Amino acid sequence: MSLSEELYREFAAIVGEKNISREEYILAGNRAQTPEIPMAHKSADAILLPGSAEEVAQIVRLCNKHRIEYVGVVAGCIPTAYSTRENSIIMHFKRMNRILEINEEDRYAVIEPGVRHIQLYPEVRKRGLSYTAAAVGPGGSVLVNIACTGGDHHVQYGTSRPTRYLLGVEMVTPEGEILRTGSLQTGSGWFCPESPGPSLRSIVKGYAGNAGKLGIVTKIAVALDRCKGPAEIRTEGISPHHKVFMDSDCSRVYVFNYKDIQDVCRAMLALGEAEVCATVQKYFYLPLTLMMTDSANEFWKKWTGGYKEALSMPLVVHIAAHSLREREYEEKILFDVVRETGGERIPRELEKWWEEHMDYFMIVSRLQSVLRLGGSWLPQKAGAESVQHMCDVCESIGTYIHDFTDTGKIFDAPENYQIIPMEYSHFASNELLIMWDRTDPKAMSYVGELGAVSRATDAKRHFYSSSPGVAGKAGEATGRLYSNVHVWMGRIREAFDPFYQSGL
Amino acid sequence: MSDLNRFRYTMESCNHCGQCKWILPSRMWGWDFAEVCPIHARYGFDACSGQGLLNMARERMENKLQWSEGMAKLVHGCTACGACDVNCKSVRDMELQETIYALRQDCAESGFLPEAKRRTAENIRKTGNRHGLPPEERLARLPEDLTEDENADTVLFLGCDIYRRPETALAAIRILKAGGVRFRILREERCCGAYLWRAGLREQAAEQMGQNARLFREQGIRTVITACAECFGSFRNYYPRVTETPFETKHITQIAAELIRDGRLRLRGTEKPLTLTYHDPCMLGRLSETYVPWEGEIRSYGLHVPEKHWNRGENGVYDPPREVLKAIPGVTLKEMVRYKEEAWCCGAQAQETDPDLAAFTAGERLREAAFTGAEAIVSCCPYCRDALSPEGEQPVRYLDLTEFLAAHIREEAEA
Repeated sequence: MSLSEELYREFAAIVGEKNISREEYILAGNRAQTPEIPMAHKSADAILLPGSAEEVAQIVRLCNKHRIEYVGVVAGCIPTAYSTRENSIIMHFKRMNRILEINEEDRYAVIEPGVRHIQLYPEVRKRGLSYTAAAVGPGGSVLVNIACTGGDHHVQYGTSRPTRYLLGVEMVTPEGEILRTGSLQTGSGWFCPESPGPSLRSIVKGYAGNAGKLGIVTKIAVALDRCKGPAEIRTEGISPHHKVFMDSDCSRVYVFNYKDIQDVCRAMLALGEAEVCATVQKYFYLPLTLMMTDSANEFWKKWTGGYKEALSMPLVVHIAAHSLREREYEEKILFDVVRETGGERIPRELEKWWEEHMDYFMIVSRLQSVLRLGGSWLPQKAGAESVQHMCDVCESIGTYIHDFTDTGKIFDAPENYQIIPMEYSHFASNELLIMWDRTDPKAMSYVGELGAVSRATDAKRHFYSSSPGVAGKAGEATGRLYSNVHVWMGRIREAFDPFYQSGL
Repeated sequence: MSDLNRFRYTMESCNHCGQCKWILPSRMWGWDFAEVCPIHARYGFDACSGQGLLNMARERMENKLQWSEGMAKLVHGCTACGACDVNCKSVRDMELQETIYALRQDCAESGFLPEAKRRTAENIRKTGNRHGLPPEERLARLPEDLTEDENADTVLFLGCDIYRRPETALAAIRILKAGGVRFRILREERCCGAYLWRAGLREQAAEQMGQNARLFREQGIRTVITACAECFGSFRNYYPRVTETPFETKHITQIAAELIRDGRLRLRGTEKPLTLTYHDPCMLGRLSETYVPWEGEIRSYGLHVPEKHWNRGENGVYDPPREVLKAIPGVTLKEMVRYKEEAWCCGAQAQETDPDLAAFTAGERLREAAFTGAEAIVSCCPYCRDALSPEGEQPVRYLDLTEFLAAHIREEAEA
């Protein structure tokens, strides 16, 4: 059902004629089926480009009044960035794209939803600061990654996960009120995430970020870390063959291959105990090979020509030091740990690729090359617990995944999981990335089977290895493992979004 | 019947990652100058981007979307500059630019070619040039005593710009003569046809290109030199799609860089130190790679059989213009944030269908040029020149590289 002329005019009066459209060709840009999701998306009835929190609040109130679903979108590369029913609108935050403040003294940046990583990251880096960008491309929204989704990144070993970098929040509630949490609500600035009393931020935002989707976050403050490295990253070359040049005295990259995940676990814990290295991670070997190649054909040559074996269980380590002495000290510990745990350095020509791309943001931008294989993909097991627990979870994958990889139901890469230790191995996240042939009509049923086996294994072995679902079947399947979070989320939603108009 | 079906794999592979809209991390600089797509920067909707045009193409292919004037204006307002394509291909095996061309072909075949484009195409059909001017005027402003080598197998292709601004052609002639390059000019040359191809008028483009290619063959031409980026990109990327091309194409900056390296072209300095920034024309840079046809099968997990050659923008002409500028004593060259394969488009291709968008796009480029501290922005494409030298006061002035170089050739007497 399309919007009535009168209602469309009301929306247009809020955002201005140039910032709203219901032309079919404009709507086409936000309803296309994407390869990872087998079903077609619903079409919104209009797309609006609000310019301020006040405009967002007015839109939300109008949606509530007329029972219209609203969905907030920035990059649009996550499955929840689409309308889910007829009688809906999309709010796109392209215009709300200001970096409002970068406070170098208190180390935070205040941003709007439309600010992308490719904009904030170099701005803070110029000031000797950094933050943990989630593993999305350069066009990903910083605010969405930090406030609304649970994505992790590969640099977190020496820092923490993106959601822990969230400070003050301004949001428009599902009822259309502008709410400020943390130190903001007492007029004490942006730098503190909480203030006395219940954590309103956590209640409203929900455990599951975008899956909770209560209202629209319109501004956040992001905590910043000191950055070990140059203020500007020197690069050479033409796409896709760019190279990064780091200060070789202070920056080194090593990649070791292991045979047993428990040995990787011991290495991670030992390095964490010594509090050395900037980045330590057990990386996916399938994306790793893809990132090192320029086309699917080149990938196939290298994957079947030795990369699969050479990179079967890679531990990637980046040392970022303030001085040559510090680097040498960390190297000594690293090599001792690797020797004691049975790691072997991969061939130099493969390691060199990492060295030439070793700004993690650049690595992440290459991560999109996973999609070069033209199939579909799904992160599974995206959980976070202790390093040992995550390694045990990943070890268990081998007990069932071969039924799928050996039979061609999914891509034959049984060890394609990553483990990212955080806060110097005080805890870790994991992720199993499976890929399948999107042209295979049975592929989705195989994926469903794999998901069921995976969840059953987790339940049987008491593994906390998946982000809990907050609604529907996913909530039923995993919510009980997490203190019935699906029940609580349902109640929160009833309380804060009585009309269920914020899209889910 | 448009080519849309050929790009089904591309259309179905897009996951809205956003790489087509934002600068690659290797060139990241800050909040400003981070966008690469003019229509996205201007209008903000996702549909106004490479991703959005793919989505429209898919709905057209599946017969779910009908053309409208607004859609045609957007599809032709897109400058088809190729920035989205290069960025997408930095990580993907997709043919975004080719899909945009196919969408324009579909637009023309559906009867929605914008009126301004239809008029220009008609000019080319009637007169062999974009401007609809009488062909006999083409060489009228060249010197009467111009001496050519009638036996040379190299031609200086003058392009449609000779009608409006013969100074560039005269400068190219001066460079070639000073460097001792044997060349000739063909009286019968016609528009290179790039305009027609980009407008989606495939048959007319093929006819136009075929006439020039036939002329080159008949005249024994083995090398085509041009001072126009549009003609250069057309010969290298569009001609191989429709005709045999037994000739090599070189841009005047490539020739000049070779002459300078060989010591055959000597230069004098600028009157005073001059800081310049160079703007990469799309058709000389990322869109100028030689087209290699591919027909085959895309199997599971992206395997292309037979193996496909990918144009990813890596082999455009980026260094010769810079070499030339740096060779002129007194010139300091500063790069903009978005340069080489990541260059922001000048916007000229939108001038006919969306003048506001064109002005915005050019304005952005001039602002970026001024940000470098340069006194002038230099380029070597007549359409970039039009876009980057609008009326009124601008933050930087525009210089044509060919003319600038010719003005700094040191004559024997000076030496």
